[in-house]
Amino acid sequence: MSAHMTEDQTLLQDAAERYLRDSYDFNQRRERIAGGVYSDPGQWQAFAEMGWLALPVPEEFGGLGMGTREMAILAELCGQFLVTEPLIDALAATHAIIGVSQQQESVLPRVAEGELIPVAAIDEADATSRLSPGTTLTQTDAGWHLSGAKHWISAGASATHLAVLAQGAEGLAWVLVPTAADGVECDTFPTHDGRGGMNCRLDLVLEADHILLQGQPASDALEAYRALAMTLSSAETLGATQAALDTTVDYTKQRVQFGQPLASFQALQHRMSNMLIQTELTRSLIYAACNAADSGHDNAARFARAAKVKATTVGRKVSQEAIQLHGGIATTDEYIVGHFFKRITALESWVCSKGEALKEFMALSPS
Amino acid sequence: MFSLAEHRTERTRTVNASNPIPTDYDTFRASIREFLKEALTPELIRAGERTTSVFSDFEAGRQWQSILHAKGWGAPEWPIEHGGTGWDIQQRYIFLEECKLANAPNPVMMGIQMLGPMLMHFGTEAQKTQFLPGIISGDDVWCQGYSEPGSGSDLASLKTTAERDGEEYVVNGTKIWTSMAHHSNWIFCLVRTDKNVKPQAGISFLLIDMATPGITVAPFPSLDGEVEQCQVFFENVRVPVANLLGEENQGWTVAKYLLEFERGGQHFTIELKKQLGKLQRAMANPNSRAIDDPTYAYRVAETEIDVMALEQTELRIKGSLSAGDNPGALSSLVKVSGTELGQRCAELLIEAAGQSAMPWQSDVLAPDYTGDTAAPAECVTTMAEYINSRATTIYGGTAEIQRGIIAKHVLGL
Repeated sequence: MSAHMTEDQTLLQDAAERYLRDSYDFNQRRERIAGGVYSDPGQWQAFAEMGWLALPVPEEFGGLGMGTREMAILAELCGQFLVTEPLIDALAATHAIIGVSQQQESVLPRVAEGELIPVAAIDEADATSRLSPGTTLTQTDAGWHLSGAKHWISAGASATHLAVLAQGAEGLAWVLVPTAADGVECDTFPTHDGRGGMNCRLDLVLEADHILLQGQPASDALEAYRALAMTLSSAETLGATQAALDTTVDYTKQRVQFGQPLASFQALQHRMSNMLIQTELTRSLIYAACNAADSGHDNAARFARAAKVKATTVGRKVSQEAIQLHGGIATTDEYIVGHFFKRITALESWVCSKGEALKEFMALSPS
Repeated sequence: MFSLAEHRTERTRTVNASNPIPTDYDTFRASIREFLKEALTPELIRAGERTTSVFSDFEAGRQWQSILHAKGWGAPEWPIEHGGTGWDIQQRYIFLEECKLANAPNPVMMGIQMLGPMLMHFGTEAQKTQFLPGIISGDDVWCQGYSEPGSGSDLASLKTTAERDGEEYVVNGTKIWTSMAHHSNWIFCLVRTDKNVKPQAGISFLLIDMATPGITVAPFPSLDGEVEQCQVFFENVRVPVANLLGEENQGWTVAKYLLEFERGGQHFTIELKKQLGKLQRAMANPNSRAIDDPTYAYRVAETEIDVMALEQTELRIKGSLSAGDNPGALSSLVKVSGTELGQRCAELLIEAAGQSAMPWQSDVLAPDYTGDTAAPAECVTTMAEYINSRATTIYGGTAEIQRGIIAKHVLGL
C-alpha cells in the first residue's frame, strides 16, 4: 500500500538537500538580495549541473523525464532553504507548456542546460482577465503581432524568456518571448519574498516559431500548468511551513523566560502540536496530489486544488504562529522565521488564491 | 515507534496517494458486498443507520457479531490461530468500509479491539484458552474499567484497590464512564495493588466476572437521553489470582499497550466519508437550511479537503504498519484530527437541519421501530449525533492528552 520513495527519488532528495544546506546560506542570501541580486547565476548553473532543470525534460531531449513527485521534492527544499531563483516557476512552465509544444526539441535542451530560463506570464493588470487575456496575438503581413501587458510575474526579472498567454484567432495561445527582445518593455521591482518581480508591455512582431501552442492544445496546457503550479507551490509552501515549525520548536527549547524554556509551557506545547498535526496532514495530501498527477488519476486536477487549499490555509496559520511563539525576534529581518512567513504569503496568491482553488475544487466533481 | 521526525528526514517511507486498488481487491470487495447483502436484515440495517455514537443498539450489535463469527469474520484483526481472517491491512480496511457503507450495526468492541490484543500479548495459555473464544463469538461482553470519579486524564492516580488474600484479590472502589457495563458479563480493570511506590508502578490488571458478589452497576443517561454509560461499584469483590493479566504491578504497561490499540485501530475516514455524503444530501434537500447557501457549500468543501488529507495520512500509517511499525504518536495525530473533523461534520449537519433536528424521540432508535417520526427521516439522529460527537475528543485520551503526547514524543518538548 505504501508508496515508498523510489531509490531515484531518495538520491535526488539527499543530494539536493546536501547541496542547499552547504551552498545556500541564509546570511549570504540576505546580503545578495540587499545588493539587488534576486537570482544568482552561479546557483542556476549549479542547479543545471545537478540535473534539476532537466527533471521535467524527456530523456530523448537530454533530460531525466521525471514527474510531479520529483519536482515537488525540489519545491519542498526551495521552501525550506528560501531559494529565490525561479525554480518551481521554470519547472512548471517547462513541463506543462514548453514540453508539449512543437519547439520542445530546440528549447528543452537549452532549459536543461540553464541557458534559457522560462517563466509563465499569465496575469494582467485587470485580475478578472487572468484566464481570458487582453493580450492579443494577431497574424499580420509582417508576422505575428503580440500586443498587451503582463503583470505580477513572480521572479520575472530572473527569466530569460516569458511564456506569454495571449488571445489568438483560434482561442488561447502561448508565445515564447525573450525578455530582451525589441518591443518588450520590462519594469522590474523587488518583492517581499526576495525575488525580482516584473511587469512588461508587449508590442512586437514575431516569427511563427515563437508560437508554442494555439487553440485547444494551448487551453489544455493552461490547465496542466495551473494544476502543476498549484501542486508545486503547495510543496514549496510545505517546505517553508515545516521549516518554520522546526525553527519554532528549536527556539522555544532554547529561549528561557520565567526561569524555564518556553517549550516547557503547555499553552505553547499544544499550539506547536497543532502546527505539527496540520503540517503532516498537508504533507499527506500534497504527496497524494503528486502521485495522482503522475499516475494520471481521474481526480488529479481535484487533488491539485485540494492541496493548494490545504497548503495555503496551513502555511498561513503555521507561519503566523511561528512568529507569535518566537516573539519580537521573529519580526526582525535578520532572523529567518519571518522570511518563511513572507515566502508562504507570496505563494498563497501565486497562480491562484485559496478561494479560487476552492471554487475550482467544488466544480470538479469526483469520479 | 513510528517517528514523524525520522519519517521526514529519512524519507524512506512516504505516502501513497490514491493509486487504484488492484483488481484482486475489487474481487474481495465484491465478495464482502455480496455477503453483507444477504446477511444484513432490515432490522440490523436500521440499527446501523440509527447509530448515534460508537455503539449501536446492543442486541442488534450482538446479533451481528454472532453472524460475523459464524462466517469466520468475528475478529479480522486477530491472528489466524485465534480466529482471525488472515486478511492484509487493505482487506481489513475494505471490510470495515463496506460494513459501514451497508449500515451494519457496531458490535460492542471492547473485547475484540482492546482486550484481545492484550490477552494475546500478556496472557497465560490458560487465560487465552478461557477468554478468547468468548470474546470473538460475542458470547462474552467485556467492558473497560479504567476511569474513576477522581481519575480521568490522570489515570495513574486511580484508587480502586485490590488486596491479596490467599489465592484471591479483594477489590474495593468504583469505576466510571464504564460504557456498556449494564450489558457486560466481564470487566477488565486497572486496580491499585501497591500504594507505596510511584503511582504507575503500583497498578495491576484484573479480569473480573461481573456476576461476582459485591459488584453494583449504576447506569446513567448521557446528554442525548440514552444509556450507554455506567458507574460500577466494587465492595469486597473476590477475584481469583488466576485472573491477573500480566505480572502484579505491571498493569500500567499492559494498559499503555491497550491504549495504543484503542487509538491506532480506528479508521476515521470511513465514517467521515459517510458524513460527507450526508452533507451533500443536506445541500440538495429543499427542506434543508443549507440549500442554496454558498457559505455552507464552501465550508463543506473545506471539510472534504481536510477529510482527504486525513485519509491520505491514514494510508501513510497503514504503510508503516505494513512495514511492521507501531503507530505510536502518529495515532494521536489521527485521533485528534479524526474526532475534531467528525465534530465539524456534526456541526454542519445540525446547522442544515435547524429546528427539524430538535424533536426528541427515543423509541425511534430501536431497530424494530417502524412508526412515524417527529423529525424528518434524515434528521432523526442529527441532534443525538451532534451531542455525542462532543464526547469523542474526551474518551480514549482527551484531545489535550493527545496534543501532550505529540509535544513530548514527536516534537521533543
